[in-house]
Amino acid sequence: MFELSSEALKKINSELSRYETKESAIIPSLYIAQSENSGWINTEVILALSKVMQIPESRINEVFKFYTMFNQKPVGKYHVQVCANISCALEGGRELAAHICKELNVKLGEVTADKRFTVSRVECLGSCGTAPMMQVNDRYYESLTPEAATNLLRGMK
Amino acid sequence: MPKCTINGRSIEVKEGTTIMEAFYQQDASIAHYCYHPGLSIAGVCRLCIVDIEGNPRPQIACNTKIMEGMKITNQSAGIKEGVKWVLDFHLINHPLDCPICDQAGECGLQEQYMEYGKYSPEMAERKVKKRKVVDLGPTVVLDSERCILCARCTRFTEEVTKTEELGLFNRGDRTEVGCVEGKQLDNKYSLNTVDICPVGALTSKDFRFRQRVWYLKDADTICTGCSTGCNVKTYFNKEGFFRVKPVYNEKVNGHWMCDEGRDIYKFVNLEHRQLKASIRTGSETFETSAGDATKKFSSFLKQLKSSETAVVLTGQYTVEEYQALVKSLKKSAGHFFHWNQNEVTEKAFDGLLLRGDKNPNTAGLRQVLEENKVGSDWKELETGLKDKKIKTLIVAGPENKTVFLDLANKLTLFSQAENLVWLSAAKLDQAVSGPKNFWHIPLKTFVEKSGTFVNAKGLAQKFSKVTTVLSEALTLSDVAALLTGDEALMVAEAKSEIAEAKIPLLADLHKRPDQVELERRKKNEFLYKRGAL
Amino acid sequence: MQTKLLSEFYHLEEFCGLAGYKKNGGYKVLEKAFKMKPQEIIDEVKNSGLRGRGGAGFSTGMKWSFLPKNNEPRYLLCNADEGEPGTFKDRLMMERAPHQLIEGMIISAFAIGSEKSYIYIRGEYNEPIRILEKALKEAREAGLLGKNILGSGFNHEMDLYVGAGAYICGEETGMISSLEGKKGQPKLKPPFPAVQGYLRKPTIVNNVETLAAVKYIIRDGAAAYRKYGTEKSAGTKLFSLSGNVRKPGNYEVNLGISLLDFIEQEGGGMKPGRKLKAVIPGGSSAPVLTAAEVAQAKLDYESLAGMGTMLGSGAVIVIDDSQCMVDMLGVLTHFYHHESCGQCTPCREGTGWLNKIVFSILEGKGRLQDLDLLLKVADQMKGRTICALSDAAALPVISFVSKFRDEFEYFVREGKSKVRGELHAQMHH
Repeated sequence: MFELSSEALKKINSELSRYETKESAIIPSLYIAQSENSGWINTEVILALSKVMQIPESRINEVFKFYTMFNQKPVGKYHVQVCANISCALEGGRELAAHICKELNVKLGEVTADKRFTVSRVECLGSCGTAPMMQVNDRYYESLTPEAATNLLRGMK
Repeated sequence: MPKCTINGRSIEVKEGTTIMEAFYQQDASIAHYCYHPGLSIAGVCRLCIVDIEGNPRPQIACNTKIMEGMKITNQSAGIKEGVKWVLDFHLINHPLDCPICDQAGECGLQEQYMEYGKYSPEMAERKVKKRKVVDLGPTVVLDSERCILCARCTRFTEEVTKTEELGLFNRGDRTEVGCVEGKQLDNKYSLNTVDICPVGALTSKDFRFRQRVWYLKDADTICTGCSTGCNVKTYFNKEGFFRVKPVYNEKVNGHWMCDEGRDIYKFVNLEHRQLKASIRTGSETFETSAGDATKKFSSFLKQLKSSETAVVLTGQYTVEEYQALVKSLKKSAGHFFHWNQNEVTEKAFDGLLLRGDKNPNTAGLRQVLEENKVGSDWKELETGLKDKKIKTLIVAGPENKTVFLDLANKLTLFSQAENLVWLSAAKLDQAVSGPKNFWHIPLKTFVEKSGTFVNAKGLAQKFSKVTTVLSEALTLSDVAALLTGDEALMVAEAKSEIAEAKIPLLADLHKRPDQVELERRKKNEFLYKRGAL
Repeated sequence: MQTKLLSEFYHLEEFCGLAGYKKNGGYKVLEKAFKMKPQEIIDEVKNSGLRGRGGAGFSTGMKWSFLPKNNEPRYLLCNADEGEPGTFKDRLMMERAPHQLIEGMIISAFAIGSEKSYIYIRGEYNEPIRILEKALKEAREAGLLGKNILGSGFNHEMDLYVGAGAYICGEETGMISSLEGKKGQPKLKPPFPAVQGYLRKPTIVNNVETLAAVKYIIRDGAAAYRKYGTEKSAGTKLFSLSGNVRKPGNYEVNLGISLLDFIEQEGGGMKPGRKLKAVIPGGSSAPVLTAAEVAQAKLDYESLAGMGTMLGSGAVIVIDDSQCMVDMLGVLTHFYHHESCGQCTPCREGTGWLNKIVFSILEGKGRLQDLDLLLKVADQMKGRTICALSDAAALPVISFVSKFRDEFEYFVREGKSKVRGELHAQMHH
């Protein structure tokens, strides 16, 4: 059964009083819970948050399922998100994603056998002038070539 | 009071009236799904588009307030074409499973498509797959593919019951209604979501697959499930009654009713009914007709002392029946008792509709007893039976046994009498062996008679007979007439302050139409129209 | 060709911190603003002709004047949810000059009488979030936020709200829903946010660049600001240039310059051996322009509108002759299908339908009647929904199909791209 750590509870409580209404704390709390649950969220997490926040679980679940940054499936240690929107597509973003999948021997949206990587294709990340690009966890890697991407991923243990 | 024109007709409306409300008031037809007068405005189905002169874009009628001088139309070519397309957008991912869908025949999608549709679908791609036969809870089943995401049910659980079990999860055309995994749609009003669902996405576990709706007739009456007196529509055919739905009454129940009330059709059906009168004298038991049994008791009654005879009444009958029975037995019965099965919880109220008093007419019974200056304390009955001072009991028992949790105890109590007359529509589960003589005379249920109920708020509501289920059953008025031989009492309208007051018949009360039912159209009208196409 | 008004000091690393920002004239305009009456600031902004830099291009001063004239608490929301494909200027502004935004916001808040503001920033922008958090902390500690700012008697609190991945939150009422802790679904209008917005209180939502520009309008006056740009498109604007050009990037230029000059001079023109085929001038929602149209186009609101497209967020996406337009439309229909919030039927169903049709063409299963069907479906999605996402999804379809119909017809007939031949299935989801 998923339980929030006391540190996470403290953070959630401070978010609950940070905004005009406690509902505004749902998104920040989902972030906190996601990082406590190895990068993804399931029903157990939703129910735990509902209990802590005193907000109906359906409301929290609606928010969780609406936003793409909350993962509905387990992800690898490194979540490689390759932009496939128009500016990147023009500059080879989709080919880059295909290259990375081949390199890591994994399908889009799936986790590598060693649980290190998940590769996803995502919509515009606001880095169109430095296309193609990818985001790995919190960091942007821009103006990539397939070779540069390969080297970067090799450095991620 | 702004003035405007709707499809060329000038009208004046109250300040703040929306175009949708004005269409309703005018009885003008307008396509829509998500709008429901009992819920907040969602404005998402985009079907109720209208042209307003001077406005470059079509506006939605449900969220646009009427301003002075507005010229509104939904008859322009652009709007008609637009509505056709919005209907097609609704349908591209909607399964064509009408033949096996419970909503067929009363489906908003079907009806509106017949009236406004394009008739030439152009969708050639695969439909979005979603969950089917999802068990949402004890009462409701969901078919997500049929759902058109009008958000009526989610608004209902958010705004009316405030239980918030339902949500719309995911986004775009992947959006699905539902509960969080492991949670259920479980509240006392859950079946209203089935009523307001304009398609067959939410269906009632109790009703699904039992009847095609075009084989059902319907008629309005009052719910007898508690003392709120919700206005309801009952659905039936020659096989019996199948369901109950709420009918709008601003003063009583608004648009809704509770789930408990939905079950009141069950005890009406023959399998739960006492079909024949049964008489037991000593050890000899025989069956006869209700009228004959009553007449037989009538001659028996003449030999009895009035001080040793008592009448027990439950709050399940009409004012007219109480009046007739009390008047006819006033001389031959010395005591009248009110059997109040839920004295303790009587005043309970959940704030919405559900009341602790599970009788439709407790207030009416009290008024009749008061008017006739009869009515004794329940203690007197208990001691009277114990001391054998009361030897004969005439009991108008419950027709809805399920809400009389003390029925078995009370029957034991009543069985101390020497002679027991049990007047009730319901079949008894146990044999009554205590009294020396026992009569069970079958009565009519609430759907088989006209009359008046007075609800907990003191509002008297007059309703008409729906249909006949068991022709030989009697009303209490019939019983009264047979007991005294006074034919005048046979007429259900016995003299009574309440019964004489000018109360409009329920069926004549103003009802706000809901698009799901589209009452203004006869059921076969669209078939007729199609034939003319 | 560049006119560095807002971006004058973006090359300085120190401009990112409070000390460096102050050294380069930072928070001096705030002092000036506090000496003015709020209405004077509003008038100045109105007279400057500043139009919203987020996409819709609505007059900022006019938007502010819709606020009710009473003492009801009101909110200022900064729209930093930059999600329009092709746009990355707000990110640059927040990374290089967070205090410029904060100063612009305090001035704007003072003008409209708001004591609380939020910067709603998209969740993917980790670096700008970190920088803004630091800048907000600095500003609070320096008394630039809080009670009685700079002795003016004006109180103002500012907070950051981090989104979680939804394009629709860039729509102002979607953003308000999101900030209220709900799905980012746009709200019915009326009521408009200026009357009932965040928590049903009057709310003004402005883009990052809009709020930063307010600072310069107050610094130099409306008349000086009007000297940049054109009559109807006053001022400078940051354009995000991307796609098949040599030097993509953000460039601040006067509104009204030639689009082709901009691509040639700032973007360094096309890559070797490549020819210009098309340009999307204002972010992915803007109808595409053909090379011939590009030669005529000027980068301002009115002339682009005159050509049936829009300036939008100022994202200029350049497409060269090596690209397949059917393929590129597939990228866009996929995006709008992915991002439709799902409330309004025409958008929810229409975006999916459009995407399916385009993908069936890309898979070689298209029918010729699909091209007209695309146009019909797109046409019926326009102007029918709560927000503009439906229009944004429809417009590229209409412009791509009608302006590059030969490529679409070729694809349908031959089952492969006219430009690129056999496309790999893996190109698409």
